[in-house]
Amino acid sequence: MTENIVTYEPDNSLKKGYFSIFGEIFNELKKNRWLTYQLFKRDFLAMYKQSFIGVLWAFIIPLISVGTFIILNRSGIFNIGSINVPYPIYAVLGMAFWQLFSTGLIASSNSLVKAGPMIIKINFSKKSLVIASCGQSIISFAVQFILVLILFICYGIAPSILILLVPIIIIPIMLLTLGFGLILSLFNGIFRDIGNILSVLITFLMFLTPVLYARPTSGILAFITRYNPLYYLVSVPRELILMGGISEWKGFLVASIISVIVFMVCLVVFHLTETRVAERI
Amino acid sequence: MVKEIAIKVENASKKYCKSLKRSMYYGINDIGRNMFGLSSHSGKLRKNEFWALDDISFEVKRGETLGIIGPNGAGKTTLLKLLNGIFWPDRGKITVKGRVGALIAVGAGFHPLLTGRENVYINAAILGMTKKEVDEKFDDIIEFAGIGDFLDTPVKFYSSGMFVRLGFAVAVHCEPDILLVDEVLAVGDEGFQNKCFNKIGELKKNGTTVILVSHNMHIISTFTEKSVFLNGGKANYFNSVAEGIKEYNKLFIKKRDLEIEKICSGNNKIKFTNIKINKRILHPGDSFSLSMEYSSAVDYNEIDIDTVIISNNEPSIYFQATNKAFNKKINLKKGKHSMKIDIENIRLHNSMAKIVIAIYSKNRSGYLFWWRIPVEFKTIDYSTGKNFYNVQYEVK
Repeated sequence: MTENIVTYEPDNSLKKGYFSIFGEIFNELKKNRWLTYQLFKRDFLAMYKQSFIGVLWAFIIPLISVGTFIILNRSGIFNIGSINVPYPIYAVLGMAFWQLFSTGLIASSNSLVKAGPMIIKINFSKKSLVIASCGQSIISFAVQFILVLILFICYGIAPSILILLVPIIIIPIMLLTLGFGLILSLFNGIFRDIGNILSVLITFLMFLTPVLYARPTSGILAFITRYNPLYYLVSVPRELILMGGISEWKGFLVASIISVIVFMVCLVVFHLTETRVAERI
Repeated sequence: MVKEIAIKVENASKKYCKSLKRSMYYGINDIGRNMFGLSSHSGKLRKNEFWALDDISFEVKRGETLGIIGPNGAGKTTLLKLLNGIFWPDRGKITVKGRVGALIAVGAGFHPLLTGRENVYINAAILGMTKKEVDEKFDDIIEFAGIGDFLDTPVKFYSSGMFVRLGFAVAVHCEPDILLVDEVLAVGDEGFQNKCFNKIGELKKNGTTVILVSHNMHIISTFTEKSVFLNGGKANYFNSVAEGIKEYNKLFIKKRDLEIEKICSGNNKIKFTNIKINKRILHPGDSFSLSMEYSSAVDYNEIDIDTVIISNNEPSIYFQATNKAFNKKINLKKGKHSMKIDIENIRLHNSMAKIVIAIYSKNRSGYLFWWRIPVEFKTIDYSTGKNFYNVQYEVK
């Protein structure tokens, strides 16, 4: 018989101190690995089941964004900047990394609200729920990566061998997304404004970040880009694949450290406060 | 041997907020405070808050069964949610030992587009089972649910009965140390209900602690040994289930309202006078009769007389009939006459009820008479269920 004793009392986690919290979180995540996988599978199956083209939807969104930029560039309304690889490859690859953040953040911040009826009836790990939702972006990432490979073949260019590092190099952006996703899902649970504003904000952020255009060299956008961790998290992996090297490794390192810190802090905050969301959702 | 304690509730309280906007504000406030390591002072009430559960203490030992009873809004579901760890107490402490299984809302984690098979795995995972456990018990679960060849059909095409059966099957197979049951047994057909009760009995035999919430005193009395009676957020713990049920029944007797509502006793053409009720306290098998005199200026032909018994325990009509149902045509003649209405052999018990006698002119075109008379049905205190039949036992 399992001898797990659970105590529920107000401000429970606070009394234990921050150090034991990490152990608690780790054990919870470890114990719920299978649950996380099942929730991930559920979201994945549910999303594409009642749809004709299914997972191919993941192709369409980047194609439309990239297509728009190509048209804007050709007509001279918008200047993409100087890029020394075929623009579609540059843009689709950038979009693939960007949507790890955008899709993941939107999915995870809505995860608690969507599962609201379940949360108020069953006691299960809410972290698993958020992580599983955030993981959905990996599916579309994989699909878009196939699109990238097709483009490489079309243009007759070979990607760098360092493309094999992709699973590692996307870890920082995933952590950053998950961290924000955890916190935003909690707040979205209490007031729905978060979810509404997020979809608008994400589009705005994408235009602010050089995902579909080259890094600007002057003006306000250049200044913002310099201090925008998302820029490094998107452009460095892209550079790695296209050029086989990293020129802005310092920026990437700082951005990665920021991501890890954001993730840790958000995870702890989520752990401390998740017991309050069920009654307000 | 002292039995191990499975659940210990010490002075637990839970507050709710009545206003949505304030609830949002309080939620953010509490989260903010906890975020920075500050206490949220949850023990105090703020504006628009009230205690849904107030200072509750009891213990349940391993293998015991506890019935939680009380009127609507007494906090029964909140208490179950606290025991399950969905809500946390705002004051006091709750300690739970072992795996908790909840039949609070079966099938809550089901996704309509996914098949029965997929949902079994997902739901089992949500309820805390491991992959190994599900693999082992998968056949039992399907067998128990009896969904046959619908296993690979999306659950949105299931009948509501099948949906609940599958949900229940998953929930009972997670072999909890503590099982929380909230009225879900009201669903499914009789055969399945029996199956569920057998399964709960089986779990009980294997040492599972069962906590049952129900309005059905018969189920409570057959399945539980101890009871907690909740009313207005306060709890009374009873060592026997009968004591708790007695307390529950008292609640409805106490709320007696002996005033007769005389909504109408005639109009300008007909007057009902000298109305007599033979008794107001009835025992099983008694008859109730209402006699009256009337003086009418005109003939009222083919009137309708409704006789209704409404039980106060539950918002349900216990009995309802018109004279038409008995194939009787009734005419009230001009002049001064008398009439009598008898309801015979009433079998309601241990509850307060209202008897309504309503007389209408032809085709219900207008009221002639409408009285609502509170009555009390009495039998022994410990019996349960709305109907009462005396049973003689003879063992040879």
